[in-house]
Amino acid sequence: MDVYVCVGSSCHIKNTKGVIDKINARIKAEGLEDKVELKGAFCMGECSQQGVSVRINDVIYSVMEEEADKFFDEHILKA
Amino acid sequence: MQNITDINQIKMAVLQKIAEHAYDGVLEDKKDEIPFEITDPIKPSFRCCVYREREILRQRVRLGMGRLPAGLHYKNRNNSQIVYVMKAACEGCPIDRFTVTNNCHNCLAQKCIKACKFGAITKTPHGAYIDKSKCRKCGQCVKACPYNAIVDIERPCIKSCPVEAVDMDDNDLAKIDESKCLNCGQCVQNCPFGAIGVVSMMTNVISSITRGRSVYAMIAPAIEGQFGNATVPALIAAIKDLGFKDCYEVALGADAVAWREAEELAEKILEGKKMTTSCCPAFYNMIQKHYPEVRDCVSTTVSPMVATARLIRSRDPEAEIVFIGPCIAKKNEVVSRYLSEINAAMTFDELGAMFAAKDIDPESYEAQAQEATRYGKGFARSGGVSAAVAKVFEEKGLDAPKVKACNGWAECKVALQMLKLGRLTEDIVEGMNCEGGCVNGPCKQTDLILSKKVFDKNVNVDKTEIVQNCMDNGFEDIEMHKH
Repeated sequence: MDVYVCVGSSCHIKNTKGVIDKINARIKAEGLEDKVELKGAFCMGECSQQGVSVRINDVIYSVMEEEADKFFDEHILKA
Repeated sequence: MQNITDINQIKMAVLQKIAEHAYDGVLEDKKDEIPFEITDPIKPSFRCCVYREREILRQRVRLGMGRLPAGLHYKNRNNSQIVYVMKAACEGCPIDRFTVTNNCHNCLAQKCIKACKFGAITKTPHGAYIDKSKCRKCGQCVKACPYNAIVDIERPCIKSCPVEAVDMDDNDLAKIDESKCLNCGQCVQNCPFGAIGVVSMMTNVISSITRGRSVYAMIAPAIEGQFGNATVPALIAAIKDLGFKDCYEVALGADAVAWREAEELAEKILEGKKMTTSCCPAFYNMIQKHYPEVRDCVSTTVSPMVATARLIRSRDPEAEIVFIGPCIAKKNEVVSRYLSEINAAMTFDELGAMFAAKDIDPESYEAQAQEATRYGKGFARSGGVSAAVAKVFEEKGLDAPKVKACNGWAECKVALQMLKLGRLTEDIVEGMNCEGGCVNGPCKQTDLILSKKVFDKNVNVDKTEIVQNCMDNGFEDIEMHKH
């Protein structure tokens, strides 16, 4: 599974790094290194959202750092 | 307002304005003013009219701020594409490749007509004529004409692309096939109108700096000679003054890569296998996208950039790490494969813009300490990676490996083809997509001839023992494998 995290400037200010670090820590903790790949993508056009844009397949989610664990459980772990 | 005469001036002026406003925290408010800050409001300075100039600058500002050119559909992009055509800037250069010029003497020998195997050339009272519908673009007529009257004018962007990823859309504007593109930046460098641009992560870096985060820079060895006579230690001091917490030489990671790659190669030689280097990201992409048959040969050692990032991370787990180099493909390497380890990649022109925005002159700094060996620094030049690997063989008392150093993408393609066919006689292929190596990368600041002199002079003072230097810097405990 490819998980695209926005590395554009608007998301950066909403803490892209925090979201990446949290998701990455979970990927390692769950031993999913071979299955989930974290990649970057430039602006997905959802700059007005509250959180950092994360895209899985064709769906764009808005993820705040505090919700990153919940997001991982719901959309990455279960998939 | 400055007098703009070339592409680099435009590029630098835009980046400098972005950097200035980003440092001041007013970029979002000022971004629409940048075109007016750079050009005259009434008189065009580099294109047909001020409106087109402003539109081109607007697209450049978007790219400089980490956005895509306007009009692209964001949603279904699944790759980490870095290089984009700015449609407003593309001139849609002539597309008839072979053209008879007025040097044609309408001679009796008619060598062009005889050379054409497709009957595309006929004789007219005004000279030879090429029927476009019959021309198969073989180029034989160009070679045959004794007056050099037939010219081959291929679009510079298409001609410069190593992998035929550049094509034209329905309006004759340049178009990049992202599934083929290496993000090497050859087209960016070769478009005479500067119509192909690169997404920047500079504003991310500046915003992290101004928020007081622990941002670390790591500079590619090719930086030697790029900013006048400034030495690497002087540049490190200057970079710290930009707000970075610390700055490391990627050449240090290059030492470690040479060490591990030598061990890997020694094993492969025993097994009778071949190996390719993987530090050049465009070369790596070339194998992944266009020579999948030889993927198994690619070194499993990370690139010097990643090795250096891991060293920094081992010393400061909270570090926000930024690579700075002459390379566009490096941005793609970071974004597509190492986002969890490296936070951004920047180019020398973006670094130059930050220096200009902060009014910092790296040449005015004086500092001495050297971190890497001259072999690690040599990774910046064609032949340098294999020379460093061979040096480790020597340090370990092994017989020298047979090396195929490929200088530029054309040589890389030949070597990969040989490897694919099993006809390569050497043990290791060193691939560098840019001719001359990274010192001639698409975002270099100084011409190769000038930077070479400074490089040669500065590298002389450096250390020479690779394995010892890796041990001294604690590389023994750093994981050096790709995941």
